[in-house]
Amino acid sequence: MAQLLNDDELIRLISKKDKNALYGIYDKYSGALYGVILRMCRNEATAQDLLQETFIKIWQKIDSYDATKGKFYTWAYRIAKNTTLNALRKQELLIQSEDLSVYNNKTQDETALDYIGLNGAIKKLEPHHQEAISLVYFRGYTHREAYLEMGVPLGTFKSYVRQALNLLRENYNKELVIFWLCIEILI
Amino acid sequence: MMERKKILDEGLLEKYLLDELNDSDRTIVERAIISDEVLKKQFSELEADFEKMALENAIVPPTHVKNSIKEQLEPAIVKRLSNTPLLVAASIGALFFFSSIWMYTQWQNTKNEFESLQSQTTDLKERLNILEENYVLTNTRLKTIDGKNTVPLLLKGNELSPNSRAIAYVNHKKKMVVVNSEGLPKLPKDKTYQMWSDVDGEMIDMGVLKSSEELITLKYIDKAESLNITIEPTGGNDHPTVENLISYVIL
Repeated sequence: MAQLLNDDELIRLISKKDKNALYGIYDKYSGALYGVILRMCRNEATAQDLLQETFIKIWQKIDSYDATKGKFYTWAYRIAKNTTLNALRKQELLIQSEDLSVYNNKTQDETALDYIGLNGAIKKLEPHHQEAISLVYFRGYTHREAYLEMGVPLGTFKSYVRQALNLLRENYNKELVIFWLCIEILI
Repeated sequence: MMERKKILDEGLLEKYLLDELNDSDRTIVERAIISDEVLKKQFSELEADFEKMALENAIVPPTHVKNSIKEQLEPAIVKRLSNTPLLVAASIGALFFFSSIWMYTQWQNTKNEFESLQSQTTDLKERLNILEENYVLTNTRLKTIDGKNTVPLLLKGNELSPNSRAIAYVNHKKKMVVVNSEGLPKLPKDKTYQMWSDVDGEMIDMGVLKSSEELITLKYIDKAESLNITIEPTGGNDHPTVENLISYVIL
């Protein structure tokens, strides 16, 4: 039943404390959010706990969602990202307090990046475009952290992001055009 | 227009979507999106692109995550499904109730028993006091009549009262005389037995004897030569009625 409703209806029901509506939203977006969380924290057990925490926050804070400021998924993505970043910061503090400052996660991250590969339109982009988008969207880096990570000037990095987004748009538009053409032909 | 250009040139829409902006920039972008249709359209497309990319890169989480969320949101149902804690609580309650009643009954019984014991103890104490007093008295008397310095003397009745028997215990050291007058026959109400000591032919009053009493302490008279019993009017006499002498013993 919940799956048949659109986001606005589901959100209205969640704010009325309809648990089934939350499960409907979960069925729709848990995969996308889990994809982001898992790529950020690179640990399945932690990612699962954080996904649960994210949906509990969605349930508790639904009244603070304002549709005029953006789509529901964007709002949920921010919750997932911030929840994960906070958990990672705590973990980092824990590692530091245990005097393991020599811990180097860069190498681990690079291997893990291959492990959780990217799919869809982003995979068709040039590697530097893929990496730019991946860092800011799937890895939780800020622009200021990401350009250092890529080892390019901030301006260059910003242009990578812009170019990548334009290319994604073109890809999706092409797909849309092909889709409409198919519909036209079928009709 | 100026704001739109700045937002687009600086990539603030992307940063806003990625939640990288500080509070003031976020407020500026939010206001701009609401008021500027071009920005609004751009942002919507950006959101759609990112969402599409996220869906293309979705990873299906294991089913237990959803179950954990359900458990967290519906603890009441979980509790309702399991009546065990409720039954345990009810059982403990019932057990407590019945054990309280049992303990109250036991307490009442114990209380009654204690009160009964308390009254019995008081009674026993009183009896013990009486016995103690009797013991002290008897012991004193026994010491009086049973000491090595005590001389028991039998006073047999003469022809006036042949069945009379009295025993006098005389202790010269302690100067005490105790008489057992149980063996004297009962007298009419207006008569009594009286004992006298004979000192140089003079009869000196020692006291009245009651036939009912076991041991009677009488006056000890120095230099008495004999002990004599006469029958006198009730209350005793100043001088003995010698014709009524029923018994005597020489010391």
